[in-house]
Amino acid sequence: MAGTDYAANTDYTADSYFVTRAAPLAPSRLDRGLLAIVRIGVGLLWLQNVGWKVPPDFGRGDPPGGLYLSASYAVSHEVFYPYAWLMDRYVLPNFTFFGWMLLVVEAALGAFLLIGLATRFWALVGVAQTVTIALSVLNAPNEWYWSYLLMLLVHLALFATAAGRYAGLDAVLRPRWQESPSWLVGWLVRAS
Amino acid sequence: MKSNRRSARALNPYRSLDRAAVALGLVSILSGVFIFVHGTFQVVQIGAISLVVALVLGLLAMAAGWLAEATLMVAAGVGFLLAAGLQIVLLAGGSGGFLGGNASTFSLWLGLGVGLIAVGLVPRPEAAQETFAAD
Repeated sequence: MAGTDYAANTDYTADSYFVTRAAPLAPSRLDRGLLAIVRIGVGLLWLQNVGWKVPPDFGRGDPPGGLYLSASYAVSHEVFYPYAWLMDRYVLPNFTFFGWMLLVVEAALGAFLLIGLATRFWALVGVAQTVTIALSVLNAPNEWYWSYLLMLLVHLALFATAAGRYAGLDAVLRPRWQESPSWLVGWLVRAS
Repeated sequence: MKSNRRSARALNPYRSLDRAAVALGLVSILSGVFIFVHGTFQVVQIGAISLVVALVLGLLAMAAGWLAEATLMVAAGVGFLLAAGLQIVLLAGGSGGFLGGNASTFSLWLGLGVGLIAVGLVPRPEAAQETFAAD
């Protein structure tokens, strides 16, 4: 078939079937570098944005601000009723505790994605955290919902590509972890 | 002698760990730039004292990687974790405190600390360390 880079075939034997599929991309130096840039960039996203979560009150006051104001949008600009109910009933009244939880999770997201350690696990945490944020602020004024979809998608990409294996600590530690019989290290192998 | 040193390094299976420690130290030193950056592009908040922490521990991590000294890597990592812990305690008090950082500083030092400890704790047979010491 002229003008194509695959073989034409009319008989679908096993060999000819595989010929028609593009070979998987073997990550070149450029590919590896780009995946590292994406991972580091997402790590910096969390790292910078944990900076405006200010303990001990996290913006709770009169008028409210900061993290407390963002979280309260889940109730005032409801996205999903059960989540709004949960926020109204349990999270907002105990905001100091939940503010600290959020600060620690986001700080860890920034830390681990930046250095590329247990990247697949932290990419999933990033997905969960993105969903949480989206359920709070998606209907808030001046929000662009694609921001949160993009965040979600980029974390899925980090998970799918195991991006810590490119210029991350997973690249140097995973081969050693794979030799260990320990269940904890086995978990790290799956998380990387 | 120089070529021996180069070939010894190239053959050392732990070289990638040493390079990781150097890279983590370099990240810390580079973060010092943010003492001059304010506003939108201030990724991490660095004050005068936190700059000293970043430079001293960053240089220690780089030296540890360069000398292939796992103990020094762990020491630098513990230093970063202590600094991160102190930063978060100061934040709980309601300000960046004398370190001059914020939660992003905590996040950066947490990553560097965990990373250096993870790299430094990889068991190394003595023979591998002697590869460097031999020259």
